[in-house]
Amino acid sequence: MKNNSKLIVSAAICSLLFIALSGCKKDDTQKLEQRNWELVWSDEFNGSAGELPDSAKWQFDIGNGPNNDGWGNAELEYYTNRPVNASIDSNGYLALTARSELYSGSAFTSARIKTMSLFEQSYGRFEARIKTPWGPGIWPAFWLLGSDVNTTGWPQCGEIDIMELRGQKPNIINGTLHGPGYSGAGGITKSFAFENARFDVDFHLFAVEWGEDYIDLFVDGTLYQQLTPDNVTGNWVFNHPFFIILNVAVGGNYVGYPTSQTPFPQTMLVDYVRVYKEVK
Amino acid sequence: MAALIAILLLAVSCERKVDTLPLATYPTTADVFIDGFSSGLYYAAYGTSKVTAFSVDNNVKYKGTSSMRFEVPNAGDPNGSYAGGVFGTNPGRDLSGYNVLTFWAKASEPATIVEVGFGNDMGASKYKVTLTNLALNSNWMEFYIPIPAPSVLQQENGMFFYAAAPQNGKGYTFWIDELKFEKLGTIAHATFGILNGNDSVKNNVETGEEYQLSDFYATFNLPTGIDQKVGLASSYFTFTSSNPSVATVNEFGIVKTADTGSAFITAKVGNTDAKGSLTITVSGQSVAPTVPAPVPTIAADKVISLFSNAYTNVKVDTWNTHWLYSTAENQDIQIDGDDVIRYRNLNFVGIEFSSQTVDASAMVNFHIDLWTPDTTMNKTFKIMLIDFGANGVYGGGDDSESEVTVNSPPLATQNWISLNIPLSSFTGLLSKSHLAQLVLSGDLPTVYIDNVYFFNNGTTPTEPTTAAPVPTFSAANVLSVFSDSYSNVPGTDLNPPWGQTTVVSQVSIAGNNTLKYKGLNYQGIQLGSSQNVSAMNFVHLDYWSANSASLKVYLISPGPVEKPYVLTVPTSGWTSVDIPLSSFSPVDLSKVIQFKFDGNGDIFIDNIFFHN
Repeated sequence: MKNNSKLIVSAAICSLLFIALSGCKKDDTQKLEQRNWELVWSDEFNGSAGELPDSAKWQFDIGNGPNNDGWGNAELEYYTNRPVNASIDSNGYLALTARSELYSGSAFTSARIKTMSLFEQSYGRFEARIKTPWGPGIWPAFWLLGSDVNTTGWPQCGEIDIMELRGQKPNIINGTLHGPGYSGAGGITKSFAFENARFDVDFHLFAVEWGEDYIDLFVDGTLYQQLTPDNVTGNWVFNHPFFIILNVAVGGNYVGYPTSQTPFPQTMLVDYVRVYKEVK
Repeated sequence: MAALIAILLLAVSCERKVDTLPLATYPTTADVFIDGFSSGLYYAAYGTSKVTAFSVDNNVKYKGTSSMRFEVPNAGDPNGSYAGGVFGTNPGRDLSGYNVLTFWAKASEPATIVEVGFGNDMGASKYKVTLTNLALNSNWMEFYIPIPAPSVLQQENGMFFYAAAPQNGKGYTFWIDELKFEKLGTIAHATFGILNGNDSVKNNVETGEEYQLSDFYATFNLPTGIDQKVGLASSYFTFTSSNPSVATVNEFGIVKTADTGSAFITAKVGNTDAKGSLTITVSGQSVAPTVPAPVPTIAADKVISLFSNAYTNVKVDTWNTHWLYSTAENQDIQIDGDDVIRYRNLNFVGIEFSSQTVDASAMVNFHIDLWTPDTTMNKTFKIMLIDFGANGVYGGGDDSESEVTVNSPPLATQNWISLNIPLSSFTGLLSKSHLAQLVLSGDLPTVYIDNVYFFNNGTTPTEPTTAAPVPTFSAANVLSVFSDSYSNVPGTDLNPPWGQTTVVSQVSIAGNNTLKYKGLNYQGIQLGSSQNVSAMNFVHLDYWSANSASLKVYLISPGPVEKPYVLTVPTSGWTSVDIPLSSFSPVDLSKVIQFKFDGNGDIFIDNIFFHN
């Protein structure tokens, strides 16, 4: 997705990289070896309505970025740890809600939670069942970031974007790898598009299956992107633990800015996040 | 839109052998206009529009071979100053399998199309959907008009309609192409609303009244992530009243009240609750006069009537101008066959006859009959006349206006009262020859009025209809001789026997005790004791006379030393004067013992006091 400090992703350039796949048609030639997964970590978000996400599993990022620059992307939101921005809802979903409200000098509030230092893992299957928000300038994401980000820096730490969506394209998600030599607009990215459906109407399962020398991206069980060290235009930096991030950004260089026609509030609902280890 | 002129441009009949169909179903054709008229489609231009505005364009197109071309005329085009019409189909189509009408459009220059939509069948248009203010420019753009509840559109004739007006007076051209119904999974998140989504409250509604719900809409999130709002016909909604014994609501959203109480009106489209509601509180049957107002007896040739069954009325443009901040509602009712105007929620109401102003210069009185169900204790009713002056139109520096306040009494509850107000009481009215407006106001929320006219029956008023103005000076600065507002000098003789022929009495004028001198020759007032008013500056008095030609007031100190001060007569209503005491020099102001009036006619006097 992006790092905490620099990098500006050009939406224009990025759009050139879009390859809108048509629907859920499985590639007949895709080869996927049978993998056995064992659940090692999950959050089913089964707390009581109004509760903040479990602090044993998640911590909050607060504010507009460490340099107050919209998390390096000119994002507009101020992330808070208030229940109105992040809480369990009455249906047992995690609700991350972007709101149009003046708060600490920002025009919008939202939430960004991460498992940093609480749960980090190398390899495995990371999946989340999500119903996305919508509207121009709304930018929900489910992603992994190398846990050495604070020591190694970005993009050397590596980033696996399992799901990013631009609210003005509610039928398209993007999966992207960022690393040295292929970061920001140069990230190795691929789109998955519904021809006649949207990601904000029903829940969909977004997953990455990650091993020493492969990263496979899935939507609802459909493999739409297979990457190996041969596919990246720099070093393969995906051989150390990563942590999970869920967030809803408002505006930014990737997504453009909300307009007067963007409906607020906008909520990303997460049914669960589950992490597996491969059992050989 | 007005009457329609159907112009059949093309009618490709839809040849289906109906008798071979198992059920009476209708075609599900999705296409409206792709590269030509789809099966059964016809075009009908609105009768008042430029009927030649539409044509098929074989050069400009988004896709395929042709598009729909609309030439919007210039403002004032003698052949019609806007473009508009309906694309219908016969037979109707079953659109229940679709959820949106889509098309591509562009214009010769940036322009905003007034409205487009579907469901206009040139009849009841039960399922009309309208997208207003469609902003076009010279690039092809895709547009979506969602179907709020597809299941009801099983036999729809109205495929498309549009209306487009000149932009800043100038015509332009726009094109529409690939017009078709689709079922798109990328249209989502429908919301519905009535009353623009507001929770409205309507209080003090009377039994039997009707109220039309309005501003029905839907929003849909488009494939572009933005919400699109469209206006809907009422028939997409099902309405519910929480209390049908108080108010019912029919399929057209007409709420009708039946009994006292409150009802909460809500709506749904399918199973989805609509935003917005109406809370209606019914106060009961209206309280109305049971008998008509008294029939006027003044000869018609002495009357200029604005509203009366007894006379031929002059043209009144409106009995309710609905001016800003006016809450008044007017209603024409009949009582025993007599026409009466009812005002409700009256704070003020403008009544206008400016298109033909009234020349009442030969008239003497203004008459109105008034009935109110409201309590009148300490309440007022105000009547303002406005004259537009010599230029006969509003403004121009020659307008004048004046207001008369009517108190209780003569105001009375649930009784007709007849007010005859001398036009002279409208003291600020500089002219009566271009009267253009009447404004009624006051504290009575409901009034019924009848017999509103000016008249001159050859008699002049014999006494004031209103009380003298209530003095506003602080009692501490006043030494009063005759006033209901202050303590008066005790022991004063209002009719000392000085040989005068004046008939003195005290009469109640609009509830206010007033001194009346009938047939004045001269008249004294003997103060109860000698008064030192040397610290005072003025003597105040209010006086009224319709027939006096001469009137003077004197102060008298021992000697006697006296000095007259001339008062202007006759008066136009009450005249208030504050006479500098210096005017009475050489009267000794430290020893004032008497007042004296001389002159002629019938005089009404009130509020005689010294003040500083």
